[in-house]
Amino acid sequence: MSSTLASVTAAVSRQTLLVLYRQMQLIRQCEEQLARAHQKGLIHGACHTYVGQEAIAVGVCAHLQTEDVVFSTHRGHGHALAKGVGPRELFAELFGRANGCSRGRGGSMHLFSPETGMMGTSGIVGPCILQAAGAGYSFKLLESDQVGVAFFGDGAANNGAFHEGLNMASIWNLPALFVCENNQFATEVPLSYSAGNPDVGSRAGAYGLPGVTVDGNDVVAVYAAAGEAIDRARHGRGATLLECRTYRTRAHAEGMGDFSYRTREEVEEWKRRCPIAALEARLVAEGIATPDELRQITAEIETLTADAQQFAEQSPLPDPATAAQHIYAAPRIGIRSVSAPPPGTREITYIKATHEALAEEMAANPKIFVMGEGIGKRGGNFNTTVGLYDLYGAVRMCDTPISERGFVGLGCGAAMTGTRPVIDFMFADFILDSVGEILNQIAKMQYMSSGRLKMPILLRGCIGIGHSAATHHSGNYYPLYAHIPGLRVVVPSNPFDAKGLMKHALRCDDPVMFLEPRELLNLKGPVPTEDYEIPFGQAAIVQPGTDVTVVAIGRMVPQVLAAAKQLTQPGISIELIDPRTVAPLDMESILASVAKTGRLLIVDECFAPFGIGAEIAAGIADCGFDELDAPIRRVNGLHTPTPYSPTLEAAVVPQIEHIVSAIKNLVDE
Amino acid sequence: MEEGTFGEWLKRDGETIERGTALFVLEGEKSAQDIESLDRGILRIPPDGPRPGETVKVGQLLGYLVEAGERAPFETSTAPAGHLPVAVGDAGSAATPPAGPATRRMARELKVDLQRVPGSGPGGRVTPDDVNAWVPAVLVKRASERVTISPRARRLAGQLGVDWTSLRGSGRTGRIRERDVRSAAAANGPAAAQLSSSGHSPLQRVAGDLPGPWLSVTTMRKTIAARMAAGVHETAPVTITTRCDASNLVNLRQQFRQTACNDEPVPGYNDLIIKLLAGALVRHPQLTHQWHERGIYVPEGLHIAVAVDTDAGLLAPVLRDVDRLSLRDVAARMKHLAEQARSGSLSAADIQGGVFTISNLGMFGIEAFTPIINLPQSAILGVGAIVRDAAVVNDTVVPRDRLTLSLTFDHRVVDGAPAARFLQTLRQAIEAPGAALLQ
Repeated sequence: MSSTLASVTAAVSRQTLLVLYRQMQLIRQCEEQLARAHQKGLIHGACHTYVGQEAIAVGVCAHLQTEDVVFSTHRGHGHALAKGVGPRELFAELFGRANGCSRGRGGSMHLFSPETGMMGTSGIVGPCILQAAGAGYSFKLLESDQVGVAFFGDGAANNGAFHEGLNMASIWNLPALFVCENNQFATEVPLSYSAGNPDVGSRAGAYGLPGVTVDGNDVVAVYAAAGEAIDRARHGRGATLLECRTYRTRAHAEGMGDFSYRTREEVEEWKRRCPIAALEARLVAEGIATPDELRQITAEIETLTADAQQFAEQSPLPDPATAAQHIYAAPRIGIRSVSAPPPGTREITYIKATHEALAEEMAANPKIFVMGEGIGKRGGNFNTTVGLYDLYGAVRMCDTPISERGFVGLGCGAAMTGTRPVIDFMFADFILDSVGEILNQIAKMQYMSSGRLKMPILLRGCIGIGHSAATHHSGNYYPLYAHIPGLRVVVPSNPFDAKGLMKHALRCDDPVMFLEPRELLNLKGPVPTEDYEIPFGQAAIVQPGTDVTVVAIGRMVPQVLAAAKQLTQPGISIELIDPRTVAPLDMESILASVAKTGRLLIVDECFAPFGIGAEIAAGIADCGFDELDAPIRRVNGLHTPTPYSPTLEAAVVPQIEHIVSAIKNLVDE
Repeated sequence: MEEGTFGEWLKRDGETIERGTALFVLEGEKSAQDIESLDRGILRIPPDGPRPGETVKVGQLLGYLVEAGERAPFETSTAPAGHLPVAVGDAGSAATPPAGPATRRMARELKVDLQRVPGSGPGGRVTPDDVNAWVPAVLVKRASERVTISPRARRLAGQLGVDWTSLRGSGRTGRIRERDVRSAAAANGPAAAQLSSSGHSPLQRVAGDLPGPWLSVTTMRKTIAARMAAGVHETAPVTITTRCDASNLVNLRQQFRQTACNDEPVPGYNDLIIKLLAGALVRHPQLTHQWHERGIYVPEGLHIAVAVDTDAGLLAPVLRDVDRLSLRDVAARMKHLAEQARSGSLSAADIQGGVFTISNLGMFGIEAFTPIINLPQSAILGVGAIVRDAAVVNDTVVPRDRLTLSLTFDHRVVDGAPAARFLQTLRQAIEAPGAALLQ
């Protein structure tokens, strides 16, 4: 641990020292005032204070410009204040007011102020590390001198995100700073118990990164170490792990018991090592400031804090009518849509169609980069990126380690900071390791930031059963994603749709799950050479008919077409609808078709329970009850993991004969 | 955490408190903890402050930290004004047990009194399962065997005016589908359209794909059908019967026959009864009152409609002001009206304005029946055959001529007792016709 000597203090200007003092006082007094407010019931949810740890946020953020970005944790009030969020906005947020920094959507654990470079605090331990790495990736791609900083506790050091994030920052030499605030407890579990190597700073070496450990209660020491690390990042020399040893002297959260896992004596001992009192004593002892000067700063902060509280109490609560705003970015207008390729259009495969879409958009938009395993020189497991590495190089065509959670979380941070990541995860099954990043971070980011952050990220990969791929290379999973507000879920069934939908995905500001049925990748179909895109939420009527509406998704679309060919008897005229995107789902087109036919069958390879078919059936029963001349029926894959042997595999997928008999039965109902 | 249990004060009233001093113990959901003061001052505990074990809410005022020499608010204010506890009233009504619309409909269909069904839902709410458990299984089965129809077909049936309840469904489980309604509408479309345009909608019946043969329906038949159905469905009909000793009536008729002149009609039993009926109606005018939406209408003139069977169907020409006619006039006019009815030469005026109807099926040996009210009238008398029967008179069985009267009346207008008194008056008149005819 580097010690702070009077000589170090001497190297820092009086002005800077007074700024550090003032900022620490600001955090301390705000926190204590928030604790009082919590006791009065003015704070509706949790309140995690930063009391005792002020020196770290202040020492690090003193080196940051507004353009630099900070990603933080549930204990983030201090980081927000140090990064430049005003106390009024902070108080208003905790009081749940419309003019809080997150507009009342976040509270203590979700502080967003992208305008000041405060990119959000998170209630989940770990993602901030990956997001800071992602910001670093953006800055590297954009060739700016900005830096991404993650603040996290010792608890996060034992989380996979720490391992994956530090490793990626190291191999890609990212401009990032990872600040571990080791306050010795992950809520109430001591680091001495939970870590095989509790010397967090030393772990940097395992990833080939510099690691520095300082006294986190010594603001000058933190300031000095952070300055060095940030300078390194800014000048292209990569990331640093900075461990700051400290202690929080209030409970984990206000209102929680504190002495079931630590002693009153230990807390008292650390209160005596108060970082503010320490700096105060030193400033006076060394003649840098008089007690009166410091008292005056304290009095100014008292006024600021009282003003913040008053402001927050007088601020309006958010309008309940706005509760569902900003889940998605505002839709682009004026998109010229193409209904179908004209006759005589050249035919290419599904995979070639998406390749064209990606290649064209990468040529047009230098902020697009692709990440995935083997998508660089190799060109992707399914040739999704063949040839692009030679055109765009390793930064825009980035091969990854097998760190799905890591590079998806990194993609989140990159999308928040000005670039457009395309995550190519080969098989949909692989990405389940990163579902927390997708559901908790990527999907929620636009909403939690009340639309001030965009999330232009495309997550693509193969789905579906076939080729005896067995259970870890055959999942569909799209109902899972369609369930979550904030995600767009696309399942194209032919080359024309695949190209148009991918073009749209690469131009929209929402996160898109782009799921490509593996069995269709070599399917050929007409694809125009001209630029076109297909907006989300517009179903295609694949085949018009009068007697039965069949809604089919992905691979099942050609299966239903084949079934329709066998059903030539009169009275069975099939109208086949392909929703193309399951989120948003075009219920209007389905309803209009059912109004015509009176019968609805949904054919989906994915599982029936809680699936897309259930959703469509419920929607039609609700809005189209009087249109129905027969019960709504579904044909789904079996509710089982995917088996390997061809006979077993075929048994879990809807076959053409199943579809034929389901349609016949429905017509007889 | 929204509330906790107050443990105890760790400091006494009046003690000086430093920042960070543990003030009191608060028991939360998981653990008890010492709550520290964020500020310094002198602790003042109000007399009405929380006692150990009491629940305290977040933000609740527990005590004061005051400066030296400062008085706590509870020392300066006057005693708080007492307030009476206000209990929330409970109507306690047992009128209708809570139940959802589906449950109510089910109860209606199964004719279950919801008040008798023990409710298992929250607050004694009666659920469909409760109703199912209450009614005998056979009823449940009947309900489940009812005709099923797809929502689309039901909507179409409404649009085309097709009564689907009699259709046979072509669905695999017998469900009526769109095509069934369409074919029914096509088969009976013109007739159905005519009926609905004539305003007699309740008469519409579509028999779907029954093979036939089919008879065409005359306008008169349609009118009869509509009026009969309305007499049953739009009134609250009750039929009561009584047996009269008609011996004196028979005797009187014999006398008329024996003294009859050639050119004058002999009053028949029906004529006699019509005249006696008029007398009874004079005494019980309520039987002529009519139910209208505006109220109960009191018609003028004792005009009695008489049902006459004709080849074309039932007709009811009206005999006017019967109370002012002699028996001889009744017989003469009745004979004329019946002839007109049978020859189809009645005018519209001849069949309008009746206030009561009499129908006689005695010539067919019918003794009692349930005649249908002829709207807008409120009552109709059915006259049965005069039968020579054994009667008990003064504990002796003797042969007597017996006549059964059947009165159907609209309970909306007339209650049971006044209707019965009317019939009693009429019976007495028939049993002593001489006196009654003198009135």
